[in-house]
Amino acid sequence: MTKLLKKEFILFTHPTSWMFLAFGAMMLIPGYPMYVPLFWTTLGLFYACLSARENNDLYYTLLLPVRKRDAVRARGLYFALMELLQIAACVPFAILRTVLKIGPNNAGMDVNLALFGLGLGLMGLFNLLFLPKLYKNPAAIGKPFLVVTVWVFVYILAAEVCCFTVPFFRDVLDTPDPQFLGVKLGVLALGAAAFVLMTVLGVRKAEKIFEKVDL
Amino acid sequence: MAETVLELRGLCKEYPAFRLKDVGFSLERGRIMGFIGRNGAGKTTTLKSMLNIVHPSAGEVRFFGLDFAEHELECKRRIAFVSGGANYYPNKKLAAITAVTRSFYEGWDEKAYRRYLKLFALDESKTPKALSAGMQVKYALALALSHGAELLILDEPTSGLDPVSRDELVDVFLSLADEGVSILFSTHITEDLDKCADDVAYIRNGEIVFSMPLKKLREKYRTVELTAEQAEQYKDSLIGCKRAKEGFTALVESGELAELGGQRSGLEEIMVHLDKEARDDD
Repeated sequence: MTKLLKKEFILFTHPTSWMFLAFGAMMLIPGYPMYVPLFWTTLGLFYACLSARENNDLYYTLLLPVRKRDAVRARGLYFALMELLQIAACVPFAILRTVLKIGPNNAGMDVNLALFGLGLGLMGLFNLLFLPKLYKNPAAIGKPFLVVTVWVFVYILAAEVCCFTVPFFRDVLDTPDPQFLGVKLGVLALGAAAFVLMTVLGVRKAEKIFEKVDL
Repeated sequence: MAETVLELRGLCKEYPAFRLKDVGFSLERGRIMGFIGRNGAGKTTTLKSMLNIVHPSAGEVRFFGLDFAEHELECKRRIAFVSGGANYYPNKKLAAITAVTRSFYEGWDEKAYRRYLKLFALDESKTPKALSAGMQVKYALALALSHGAELLILDEPTSGLDPVSRDELVDVFLSLADEGVSILFSTHITEDLDKCADDVAYIRNGEIVFSMPLKKLREKYRTVELTAEQAEQYKDSLIGCKRAKEGFTALVESGELAELGGQRSGLEEIMVHLDKEARDDD
C-alpha cells in the first residue's frame, strides 16, 4: 500500500491539488462561506482523476504487481490524505483569524472546531459518492463529478442555512472558539468518525464495482 | 516433465458483438508460444482476461500452478505483461516512471535495466510522448525484462519496430528462453514466430482452433501452387484455396496429393489458408 500511495503522490497528483491547499488562507476572509475552501480540495481530486484518465493511469497501475482492490484502496487513502492535508492547511489560518480577532463570519458558519467537523463530513460524503462512480466507468467521470457536486452543495447549503435557522447551530456551533468547546469537540469527533466511515464505505463499494470493470 | 507456467481452461467473455468461447491452452517453462489470429479474433481479450484487466465471465487461469484469482499478487510479481508501448504518463520522464515501477519489484535488476536501455538506445530523460511508437514498445519491454519475470506476456511486441529491432528482440527472446523464461506473445508478424516460437496457439472468432508445437504444425501441411484446372480438380482435398498472383495456392495435408509437389508451409501461409477455409465453410 505504501508503494501505491507513493505512486499516487508522484504520478497521480495534479499540480492544482497543491495550489488548492493554499486556499486555506480563505479562512481569513471576514465574511465568506467557509466550506468553499474545502470544496476546492474535491475539485483538485477531480482534476487529478481527469489527468489520470488521459495518462492511462489505471492501465499502468494494473500492469504493476497489485490487485485491483489495492489500486482502489490506495486511491481512497490518497483522497483522504489530501482532504486531511487541506484541513491541516486551513488550521493555521483559522488560528490566525482568532488571534487577529477578524470577528464573526456573517456569511455563514464561523471558523471554529465545529466547522472542521462538518467539513470532514462534507469530504466523507464526497468520497462515499464519488469513489464508486469513479470506478464504475473510469472513462467518463465528468458527469459523476457534477452529480456528486450537487449533493456536496446541498450539504453546504443545508449546513449554512442551519446557522441562521436552527437554534443549536446558531447559538452553540456558530460561535467563536473557545465558546462551547466541549460540544464543538464532539461535533469534530463525530465529523471525523463520519469521514472515516463514509470513506471506507465508498472504497468498499468502489472495490466491488471495479473488480468487474473491463479496461 | 517440464513445469507448466501457464494454463488456461474454459476462459469465456461475452460482449454484445463478440464472445470468447472456452479458450484453453498451456505453456511450459522455457518455451516461446506465438498467439496468432486475425484482427478481432480475441487475442487481446484473452491476454487481458488472463490478468483480470478484462473481467472474464468464466474460466480458470493458473500461473506456475497457482490459481490467479486466489494468488493474484504472487502471480503478478512473477510475470510481466506488455500491451503495445508505454502509452502511460506521456509527459513524465522515463526516469520518473521507472523509479515508481522499480519500487514495486523486489527482484528488480538494475544492471539488466541499464543493459536494455543501452541495447534499445533509450534516453531516460525523454518522455514517452517524445518517443516513437517503436521506442515506446522498447521502453515497455525494458521495464518488463528488468524485474526477473519468469513469464512474459506480450501483446503485439514487435509491431511498429523496424526489422533490425525486431531481430534484436527475437534474439533477446531466445536468450531469455534459454535462461528458462517463458514467453507468450501475440503478433500479426508471423515471420518473427518462425524465427523463435516453439509453440503456436491459433484463435479464430473467439475460439482456439489449435495449440501445438510449431514444428509439428509445419510438418502437418504443405503449400501448393495450382492452375485453375488443378484447383477445380482437387478442390475437395485442398485447404483454403485462394487466388494468387499467378494461379492459386492452397494447403494440403503433408501425406496427400504428392503429385502436386509444393513446399513446407510457413506460419503465415498456414494461418491465411486455414482462415480462408473456415470462412468458406461458414
